Amino acid sequence: MSEPFEPKIIAFVCTYCTYAGADLAGTSRLKYAPNVRIIRLPCTGRISPMFILKALQKGADGVLVSGCHPGDCHFTHGNYHARRRWMVFRALLDFIGIPPERVKYSWISAAEGVKFAEFINSVTEDIRKLGPFEQYSQLIGDTQAPASL
Amino acid sequence: MSIEQQYQARAKELLSGGAVKMVIGYGKGTTGNRRRPIFISSPDDVGRLVLDDSCIINLSGYLVSEGLLSDEKRVAVFLRPEGIRAINILAAESQLDADQIVIFGFDVNDNELRALKGIHVEEFADVIGSIRENNPGFADKELLEKIEKMTAQERFAFWQEEFAKCIKCYACRQACPMCYCRRCIVDSNQPQWVNTSSHSLGNFEWNIVRAFHLSGRCVECGNCDRACPVNIPLRLINHKMAVEVLGAFDHVAGMSKTQEPVLASFKKDDSETFIL
Repeated sequence: MSEPFEPKIIAFVCTYCTYAGADLAGTSRLKYAPNVRIIRLPCTGRISPMFILKALQKGADGVLVSGCHPGDCHFTHGNYHARRRWMVFRALLDFIGIPPERVKYSWISAAEGVKFAEFINSVTEDIRKLGPFEQYSQLIGDTQAPASL
Repeated sequence: MSIEQQYQARAKELLSGGAVKMVIGYGKGTTGNRRRPIFISSPDDVGRLVLDDSCIINLSGYLVSEGLLSDEKRVAVFLRPEGIRAINILAAESQLDADQIVIFGFDVNDNELRALKGIHVEEFADVIGSIRENNPGFADKELLEKIEKMTAQERFAFWQEEFAKCIKCYACRQACPMCYCRRCIVDSNQPQWVNTSSHSLGNFEWNIVRAFHLSGRCVECGNCDRACPVNIPLRLINHKMAVEVLGAFDHVAGMSKTQEPVLASFKKDDSETFIL
């Protein structure tokens, strides 16, 4: 197999800002890496850390989380809560050994189509360089192995 | 009169006067220096109460047993400073009414038992305040430093080896006074967030979620560590998260019964460096 590695990236975005920003990138005909699968949620405050773990569990090489800039939340403070949660969760993942480069966070507004495209491109490149998340896929592989006697 | 005798007398007085309906304390265990929780509701039984430097379990978790406090009667409980902090957190999270709890406070320093003065949780503010200044921290500092110096890959390998031992018995959860959810996230199967079998993947997820849910709430009583049948350094992860929360939000869990839970509140100027 000599095919180049194409990372699988899952993006959890809020519908009011980043999803609209992705829309703008599309309608502006901006080209960006096709490696990202976007999952739209009402607010970053709705993004449970379980989502990130679930994405990794299902074989993602990288996870993105993005929403409205602080102060711009449609629900006034969902992203402030999310920010605290991310600060703690990111430290925890780091301590457990899941590299912080694989889980990225950003604020992208509905007007920032260009920022969205650039963000996706740069993260895709970074994760391409890191390669597949082998340590985690080994864990996933173990779940399929028949029980040893 | 020893502290044990003083507390036995106080328990007898409270129970016979009807001031409390139950005393949760320590009794003799199966071997010499083991203590087990006992639940006393008759003044005749106070002689079974034991108090010495082997009393290390944090008993606060029993207070949130279903229905125990719903008749609004008082319950007395033997608590070390960590346990008193746990009461503060449970009260702050609306799990109990702190006025219903009568505290028999004690602490052990250098194998010496001492009584802590006070009845209600507010009266122990000085004792638990001093923890903020000088957190004894039970965690193995050497191991913590060693892990912090590792690369991400080495850390992953380290925890993989530790978590591989996990048998998903959830004793850590049962022992923890902060794990009071009626339905734990691992018991949810629609959706199923965490793999249920005890293979490495499910063990990783379980231990990450457990530590995350205790971030900013753990009082480092060590109940989880002692309950773990395979000796995973659970307290170490909790301690690390407590250090992170202190650094990021200047928050030490359980300082008062009105303290806002750290992940249920925010400041507009919470500062981070990683959100692009």
